[in-house]
Amino acid sequence: MLQVLFDSLIRTAELSLLAVGVTMTYGMLRFANFAHLEFAAIGAYLALALSTGAGLPLPIAAALAIAVTGFFGIATDFVIFRRLRKAAPIMLMIASFALGIVIRETIRAIWGPSGQSYGLPLVRWRVETWEARPLFITPYQVTVIVSAAVAIVAFYFLLSRTRLGVAMRGTAENAPLAQASGIDTNGVIRWVWFIGAAFAALGGVLVGLNTQVKPDMGGGLIIEVFAAAILGGIGNPYGAMLGALIIAVAENATLAINWGPVLQWAGFEAGDFVFIPTGYKAAAAFVLLILALLIRPQGLLGAKR
Amino acid sequence: MTGFIEFLVYLFTIGGIWGMLSLSLNVQFGIAGLINLGHVAFFMLGAYVSTILVVLNGWDITFGIFAGGAAAAAFGMLMALPTARLQQDYWAISTLAVAEILRIFFLNTSLDGPYVGQALGVSGIPRPLRDWFNAEGYSNAAYNWFFLGLVMACLLATLLFCLWLSRTPFARTLKALREDDAVPLALGKRVSSFRIRAMAIGGAIGGLAGGLFAHYNAFIEPEYFRPIETFLIWAMVILGGAGNMIGSLVGTLLVMTLYNSSRFVPGWLNDLFGWTIDGRVYGSLRLVLIGVIIILVILYLPNGLLPERRRKSAQ
Repeated sequence: MLQVLFDSLIRTAELSLLAVGVTMTYGMLRFANFAHLEFAAIGAYLALALSTGAGLPLPIAAALAIAVTGFFGIATDFVIFRRLRKAAPIMLMIASFALGIVIRETIRAIWGPSGQSYGLPLVRWRVETWEARPLFITPYQVTVIVSAAVAIVAFYFLLSRTRLGVAMRGTAENAPLAQASGIDTNGVIRWVWFIGAAFAALGGVLVGLNTQVKPDMGGGLIIEVFAAAILGGIGNPYGAMLGALIIAVAENATLAINWGPVLQWAGFEAGDFVFIPTGYKAAAAFVLLILALLIRPQGLLGAKR
Repeated sequence: MTGFIEFLVYLFTIGGIWGMLSLSLNVQFGIAGLINLGHVAFFMLGAYVSTILVVLNGWDITFGIFAGGAAAAAFGMLMALPTARLQQDYWAISTLAVAEILRIFFLNTSLDGPYVGQALGVSGIPRPLRDWFNAEGYSNAAYNWFFLGLVMACLLATLLFCLWLSRTPFARTLKALREDDAVPLALGKRVSSFRIRAMAIGGAIGGLAGGLFAHYNAFIEPEYFRPIETFLIWAMVILGGAGNMIGSLVGTLLVMTLYNSSRFVPGWLNDLFGWTIDGRVYGSLRLVLIGVIIILVILYLPNGLLPERRRKSAQ
């Protein structure tokens, strides 16, 4: 049980960092940026090149990679999406899908298709708890949770306590009004791209730290992350974090629950032990996304539009 | 030279099947304005249903392919149901998820014993009239020409059907709905029923294409039906011009040629310039190229190579 909760917490941390940028660009610019997840892969691979390639210590390499990815986010807007502000949403979706493929396949062409790691030693702590089964934790998983928590708290202070944060919220709420009140909305949009891409890059480095660095490490999470963003209500960063938590718990719980008694209770003929195979893990998030859209399309924390 | 002709026969056969896919997406998007990001689901369903019925249940191939089309049409109707409630872009994202759920289902479900289905795929799918061609002593090449003819006939029938369809009052209503027009509503047209029919028609054609593909390739696996396949179909429609059926076929030809160019371009580059490109790297580069072309088309040619013809009064 504790292991399930702990695994869900790590997953929540990773998905939150990716979903915050998705929900901010979606809320402010009204388009689903399918290329957003590739910022995670860019960050992870840049950190890999700077650390194992150029020999920098991993924290410095990661910080540089995150900053560069942030500027790359601004660049994608400058080159592509800024020119499509008035285009139909589908054109933006397809353009971002195409950009995602361009980024992913460029990474694959440069670094190859197989997974790589930051070359850190394998360490695993065994923690005895009140449960019969011990809890297994790696220092990297602790790093994932702590870094994500720090980033999210920093983001909270940015949104609630700074002029930029107020300007961001104002622009997301009503861009023409914000502009009329003297807010440089284009500057705010640039910041949103920077922060979104940088958060995704941090998420990518953390996923790479916890598992491995692969070309499809970002693109493969596309539906989980969009599910988190939509579940929490588009445009609401805290909602996206809540959505990430729900998706993470649902994925891990679906596999951990013994469905046998449930099925028997529902009147089906089933054995005493029925577990859903691991392969269906991803389907849990997807089903949740569709249910959320059908039942509450404005999201859990979203106002009706 | 014979190698190149064989390649062309292959390219046009597979391109013909994908042409049916892009035409069917064009019915859904070009005419009805539905943003279906899970179009590969119909292709997958057609391929799997026909394979299961023919290989495991011993059905006739023709019936199998048509059953696959019918299953995909039913699935399309199911997918269309939430369009009335959902915002366009939310529906689009959920179609992406639906196609992935279907793929995960086929990836994790064993069809018959441990060696059929799942990631192993299904092999040994019978090909139409293959035994007859063998018995009469025809070559492999002759059979491939026959299959090309079969696919081209199906493609021509699909094209004629789509051209006819886009002139019907049904299509005019859909186009009006696409433009968010209140007139059809005011005339008492049932919006959801029109969208359901558009999804069913597109789904049926996509399913038939899937059945043809399964019985041409003789092997299917879940890896064939990833979201990137849906993207390729979209690339074809947008490159050719949404709403223009001939445009879809032009787009299909261009995208399929680029997609299959790994068979000859690395060889040419080596012959002409002495460059050696790793096959795997080229496999990525062709997708980068398709992606860049689509971005450029959206930026500079948003109506595609062959824009939809609109009546003057519609502007």
